[in-house]
Amino acid sequence: MTASAAVAAAVPAGAGFRVGVSLSLAGLLVGSAWHLSGEAGGGRLALSLVFGALFGFVLQRSRFCFLCVWRDLLDRGDPRGVLGILAALALGMAGYAVVFGAWLPDPSGTRLPPGAHIGPVGPVLALAGLAFGAGMAVSGSCLSAHLYRLGEGSATAPFALLGSALGFVLGFLTWNPLYLAGIAEAPVTWLPRHLGYAGSLIAGLAVLGGAALWLLRRPLPAAPPPAVADPWRAVFVARWPTWLGGLAVGAIGTLSYLRLGPLGVTAEIGGRSRQGAAALGLLPERLEGLDAFRGCATALGDALLTPNGLFVGGLVVASFAAALAAGQFRPARPGRGHVLRGLLGGVLLGWGAMTGLGCSIGTLVSGIMAGALSGWVFGIAMLAGITGTLGLSRRLGWLA
Amino acid sequence: MRKTIMFRSSLAGAALAALLLPAGPTPAAAGAAAGAKAGTTAASPVRDAEASPLVSTEWLEKNLDSGKLRVVEVSVDPGVYERGHIPGAHNVAWHTDLVETVSRDIAGPDKFAALARRLGIDRDTTVVLYGDNNNWFAAWGAWVFAQYGLVDTVKLLDGGRKKWEAEKRPLDTRTPEVAASAFAVTPASTALRARFTDVLAVARKERNEKILDIRSPDEFSGKIIAPAGVPELAVRAGHIPGSVNVPWGKAVNPDGTLKPVEELRKLYAEAGIDGSKPVITSCRIGERSSHSWFVLSRVLGYPARNYDGSWTEYGNAVGVPVVNLAGTVWGGK
Repeated sequence: MTASAAVAAAVPAGAGFRVGVSLSLAGLLVGSAWHLSGEAGGGRLALSLVFGALFGFVLQRSRFCFLCVWRDLLDRGDPRGVLGILAALALGMAGYAVVFGAWLPDPSGTRLPPGAHIGPVGPVLALAGLAFGAGMAVSGSCLSAHLYRLGEGSATAPFALLGSALGFVLGFLTWNPLYLAGIAEAPVTWLPRHLGYAGSLIAGLAVLGGAALWLLRRPLPAAPPPAVADPWRAVFVARWPTWLGGLAVGAIGTLSYLRLGPLGVTAEIGGRSRQGAAALGLLPERLEGLDAFRGCATALGDALLTPNGLFVGGLVVASFAAALAAGQFRPARPGRGHVLRGLLGGVLLGWGAMTGLGCSIGTLVSGIMAGALSGWVFGIAMLAGITGTLGLSRRLGWLA
Repeated sequence: MRKTIMFRSSLAGAALAALLLPAGPTPAAAGAAAGAKAGTTAASPVRDAEASPLVSTEWLEKNLDSGKLRVVEVSVDPGVYERGHIPGAHNVAWHTDLVETVSRDIAGPDKFAALARRLGIDRDTTVVLYGDNNNWFAAWGAWVFAQYGLVDTVKLLDGGRKKWEAEKRPLDTRTPEVAASAFAVTPASTALRARFTDVLAVARKERNEKILDIRSPDEFSGKIIAPAGVPELAVRAGHIPGSVNVPWGKAVNPDGTLKPVEELRKLYAEAGIDGSKPVITSCRIGERSSHSWFVLSRVLGYPARNYDGSWTEYGNAVGVPVVNLAGTVWGGK
């Protein structure tokens, strides 16, 4: 029995067409990667597309969404989603440590491991995290989740992404004063430099493990739906448990760092916004010190295809294919609320991601995996931003 | 277009191989014998021979396990080394290891000695440098090593990283560990480095030397101050009076290897540089010019110095003579 036949048999009528389209999209991704890898210097681009597609598939299948899992915990006391994120961070932390040990055997020198997202730590980073968290609460998710939800037909996602482009431009406009006031002299703290690889890994795992124990101090609420017996449905239709998605994200993060660079989804959005704003003459002549920092770099060359562009493209196409096959592609006509919340939240997301040199993936996930203090600070500020914004707006009756 | 270039480069590579094969020793066993034969004539070096400043990718791969050999990558792009390097190669960062990071200068004696010790380099260790971007910074590295007396033992991998990869030779991601050497702190020689006053004396015709400007013709003529995508770090356009222009790339085949010695000799002779007078190589920041310095000094055996101040120093100096053929006015017409 072929794959398509098996899936078709397992899902309701009309599914044959959807599965056919999904398989065509998967074929398109494979074909594009194949084509790119044959071009001179295209190996990196092809691999970016493949990692992006895998990442999109995993995000969609496990609904790996920072806001949703945090809301599950706050509102329903269900820690399963947050545990999934902890699993991603723990696996990635260990994976990064293995790679770092081969590349930079002695972390105590002056050098940082190449490309790792280790950013400046200071009040500006906390402000960026707060804004990003607020943007998540307003728009309904973070940037990576908006990207995979674009593939699910979300009515908010297009406006959130548009808003985030505007937010990036705002970020560029406020960068120079913020840089001079609080970023230029902010320390770039890499924990392995102070604790060694083993010390940093043990400390990080202890924090994650402690958080997991605390979350599990009470019995879990309502049991999860029984495991699906049919393997096709389990993989392609049913929602993956978040811990499985988390482990996959940790593995993809490590492999991506080994071969290409840390995971991140905002370099392309930021880079194109920067190009566009520069063409319109909106940007300052110079963005002080920006391009010397680690993080989701927004300095773009003239290339039409960039590694991050293909990563994001692969993410969206793969999540669309996955959603379609699972019957979870539900396009909705955007109402005024979608547009407003998307745009406003998107601006906050974009400003936070620009000022914080990345988002919940680039700065938080890739930073914490790399042993960067900046990842932890951004993460804590982001959670505070979500919690505060949700609480305040619910009190005022703005958000459900 | 891309295909044409690849086709041409493979043709050129084949032609070069054909030229070299009769003279090229089979590595390992033959290396020393050929070195003894060819070692005496520095003016016509044979690639791979002991005295040659260049080694081929084939020779290097067969000699990687040799104990007295250190392979060192000096690439422009950070992260290139870590994601795959020639097995056993060490990494050197040009912008921190080979220079002073605060003042504009090459690494001082203590810093250089510490680097050499870390890499396990003694005065009799053969060092093969290679890197991305046509060995630009590897050649810069060779120039810095030479100032600390490591001249004949330091070689460039002909074709650099590009050729090694194009030939599908193996890469490794592990970092080698070597026992530190006891390299002694010595002052840097001044004989291989031209300073501002040296260049000014030539520009004012007070000294009879040649200046070779290896920038692009548009930078040389003053149409532009810096290549596309590179910040303009000088406030004047043009070149040093009395200099001649042979862009660095003319010394290189499409596959990244250097052209045969006779062609190189002819190339520079056409610009009036034949080794009879001392030459000063110059560019924008002294990096690309190290590549031409290596060709002139080490491959052709001409008396050559590199002017690392280059146009970013000379083009900013007050009151010095400048030739600006294009008439570009900095800050607007």
